[in-house]
Amino acid sequence: MTRYLLTRLGQALVIVILVTLITFLILHVLPGGAARAILGKEATLEQIAAFNHEMGYDRPLWEQYALYLQRLVHGDLGYSFQLNQSVAEAIAQRLPKTMVMSLASTVLAVVVAVPLGVVQAVRRNRWPDYTINALSLLAYATPIFFMGLMMIILFSQVWAVLPPEAPQGFTLGEVLADPAGLVLPVVTLAILTVAVYSRYIRSSMVDNLNENYVRTARSKGLSEGRVIVGHTLRNGLFPVITLLGMYLPALFSGALVVERLFNYPGMGLLFWQAALKRDYPILLGVTLLISVATVLGALVADVLYAAVDPRVRLKAGRS
Amino acid sequence: MEAPTQPLLRLRDLSTDIALRRGTVHALDKVNLEVRQGETLGVVGESGSGKTMTVLSVMGLLPSGGQVVGGEILFDGRDLRRLEAKELRRVRGVEMGMVFQDPLTSLNPTMRIGAQVAEPLRVHQGVSKAEARDRAIEILRRVGMPRPDKIVDDYPHQLSGGMRQRVVIAMALIRSPRLLIADEPTTALDVTTQRQILELIDDLREEFKMAVILVTHDLGVIAGRADRVAVMYAGRVVETGTTADLFRAPRHRYTEALMRALPESAAEGRLYSIPGLPPDLSRPLTGCRFAPRCQFATDECRTGDVLLTLDAAGNGHEFACLHPVAEPVAITASAPVAETAAKASEPLLTVRDLVKEYDAGGSGMRKTAGRVSAVAGVSFEVKAGETLGIVGESGCGKSTVGRVVAGLEPATAGQIIVDGQDIATLDRRARHHMHRQVQLMFQDSYAAMNPRMRIDSILTEPLEIQQVGDAAARRARVSELLDQVGLPRRALERYPHEFSGGQLQRIGLARSLALNPRLIVADEPVSALDVSVQAQVLNLMRDLQHELGLSYVFISHDLSVVDYMADRIGVMYLGKLVEVGPASQVVRAARHPYTQALLDAVPSPDPDRAPAPDTTIRGELPSALNPPTGCRFRTRCPLAQDICATEPPLQGGTHQVACHFPLRQEPAQETSAA
Repeated sequence: MTRYLLTRLGQALVIVILVTLITFLILHVLPGGAARAILGKEATLEQIAAFNHEMGYDRPLWEQYALYLQRLVHGDLGYSFQLNQSVAEAIAQRLPKTMVMSLASTVLAVVVAVPLGVVQAVRRNRWPDYTINALSLLAYATPIFFMGLMMIILFSQVWAVLPPEAPQGFTLGEVLADPAGLVLPVVTLAILTVAVYSRYIRSSMVDNLNENYVRTARSKGLSEGRVIVGHTLRNGLFPVITLLGMYLPALFSGALVVERLFNYPGMGLLFWQAALKRDYPILLGVTLLISVATVLGALVADVLYAAVDPRVRLKAGRS
Repeated sequence: MEAPTQPLLRLRDLSTDIALRRGTVHALDKVNLEVRQGETLGVVGESGSGKTMTVLSVMGLLPSGGQVVGGEILFDGRDLRRLEAKELRRVRGVEMGMVFQDPLTSLNPTMRIGAQVAEPLRVHQGVSKAEARDRAIEILRRVGMPRPDKIVDDYPHQLSGGMRQRVVIAMALIRSPRLLIADEPTTALDVTTQRQILELIDDLREEFKMAVILVTHDLGVIAGRADRVAVMYAGRVVETGTTADLFRAPRHRYTEALMRALPESAAEGRLYSIPGLPPDLSRPLTGCRFAPRCQFATDECRTGDVLLTLDAAGNGHEFACLHPVAEPVAITASAPVAETAAKASEPLLTVRDLVKEYDAGGSGMRKTAGRVSAVAGVSFEVKAGETLGIVGESGCGKSTVGRVVAGLEPATAGQIIVDGQDIATLDRRARHHMHRQVQLMFQDSYAAMNPRMRIDSILTEPLEIQQVGDAAARRARVSELLDQVGLPRRALERYPHEFSGGQLQRIGLARSLALNPRLIVADEPVSALDVSVQAQVLNLMRDLQHELGLSYVFISHDLSVVDYMADRIGVMYLGKLVEVGPASQVVRAARHPYTQALLDAVPSPDPDRAPAPDTTIRGELPSALNPPTGCRFRTRCPLAQDICATEPPLQGGTHQVACHFPLRQEPAQETSAA
């Protein structure tokens, strides 16, 4: 197990370094450059050259990259001139907010999707299945900004029970102090996730209910509820682990559309604004964070799998 | 056994329907059966006969869409159809127990053995966790599980097939049921394991005074174990009687045909095969359902309903046949089939010291995790026109030998000489050409065919790959192949899923014949087929052999099939050839203790045959990752002594054996002939 973890972490490190390299290259190949973005259109060539020299942007690419890595090892993610704060600080400010929203919506989605999927599987090809199926397809097909708009119109205009805007607090504590404001963005995010998860759970439960071991369980005279909860549910939930592992990066990167719609300054907005303004240090920092989350998510899913499924044995060296 | 007057379970006119998308299948039509306490009722029939549906109806475990639509299921006098759901569950969980066909899938993969075994107690009797665990250990010990206190905390995937079946049996027995239903309990298991499981069920029946319903397609299993037998065909019981009566003097024409189709009863080298296919149960049927396939059928059979009637002899023997068999059918241990004499002196195939090893899933970084020794130094020859049968239990390496001989996998060491040429020395082109000589026929032809290819493409493909002839010539060849295997030409435009198992096996045979090979390696070609269809395919294989002068390497776990097909038989155990010789000698005068144990374990469809002495080997096949040194069988051999730690060479004349203590000496004249 330890061996497996070490191997996988080693692989993860390689992947993360490759991701930084690729991002780094792409950002520097793009036309315009950071100097133009910061100094504005009016800047003279001399000013740009001076800026580039000061920032080290006139050095060979590999040297810049080596310097970047060197700083990274010391925990320095860089400094954003445009935000006038360090990248680490910018991320630290927004990440907790994003995580609160994403976590809340994921938990909500799982709590809703599991029973839905199970009901669909048990009542397969009957009206509960068809109804849920139709609704989840609808949710799946609706663009999320439209869904969010509808939520705002319905629940803060037509029936004004919730604020249309997310909490605007600067710190996590302030955000949490206004839970009502979180409801709409969290629910909007969760609706889409429910649609995806319930479909996976349904098909996985259908497969499991057709397994011979379920017949064996029934032959013991177990009630249907006991067969489903005691035997099938656990095996049917394995795909959720994979889904959650894949979802981990989203937990860090945030949901751009929802954040924008509800004006919730999280990671999604940060990344988007940085992209518009060619704020390289922020772009690099966020990409790095997401790539770490991605490889960690896959690793966590595999380890969780091994923990819940006795058939899975983790072996070092397997890709 | 004192038979109580009241049967424990009685089915009265039980009818079951299964609703499918394309209509309703009337799976059971007025089935009448009864079983008494302490008695074993054998239910026998081919696939689709309704034998499994009958027991699933009793247990209330019908697949989705299935429903009992008529009749009564009287268990101890109460009709289960009228019971409340809760009481029905109690009856199912406490008074009945069921053992399923496939032990590999009938256990929950993520639940510990102990928890699964003891679950009925926890649910129905509210037993505490600790007590349930103790009871589970106790019952696991009773079903012959080694180290039950360890196994109880294991997961199913850690156990072998035979052990898992013991777990399923333990699960059924822990509630001390009055009725045990075993649905093909040993079909997925090797013969030596099968024997252990069947004996276990027998012992437990006596001990617990249970009634047992044993459902199987294997007449041999029924003959040895059941007190009474019910034969089912197309959703009906067509004949019931005591085992002795029914096997000695079957009255229904279908029962007779089934028995005559067994390889054991082959006379004059041909098996009796039942023409046609069972009827489609989704259509209304009139008259005797077997009539369309019965050579004795008259108009009377086709129009009126034919009901079960008592035999006049007054022995309780019932049958539903208007033209019953008058004289007993003999399943004699038939005179050895005349072996197709292989005259050619030059062997077509010579295998010398063949070794095949696999890496045992070691890590990519550390390659020396271990080597699985699948085949360890096997040598044999096959002459032109000869059939060599290779038998052995799962994991003995027989299929690996087949794949290596057919060139699908390279040998780790050793020589394979086809028609005088060592395949290892051939260049790519010559090896490509060599494939024309040796072709493979698979067990599961459906899985071995691309489901999206039509039969004509499937049959043309080998010709295209080998660039034989032009398009017109290929078309002609494909039509000829269909004629040879007895399928209509219109089969060419259809897809694999439109064919039955027997027809697919014919297509598989046609494909392997396409290139005019001289040797066909047939890997378990009939093990997925019903007896009557098996007979058709075996007959076809023999006919084509005579016609085309083919050689076969016929790989099977079924000794009676191999005995029927092969001129010579090789017996494999854990990667070694332990015995090889003329078929009749190997089967009737085995020299290796393992061969003898295999033979004794095969259930005979002759109920009068004296039960074999208890030479059955116990335990499990050792791991091929770390095989025993010396004679690989010595860890399970009743005759093993110290010398067996050195490897015995395969020696003898025509009937060779690799054993320090062979059971018999070779007949003298054979040795001199060598």
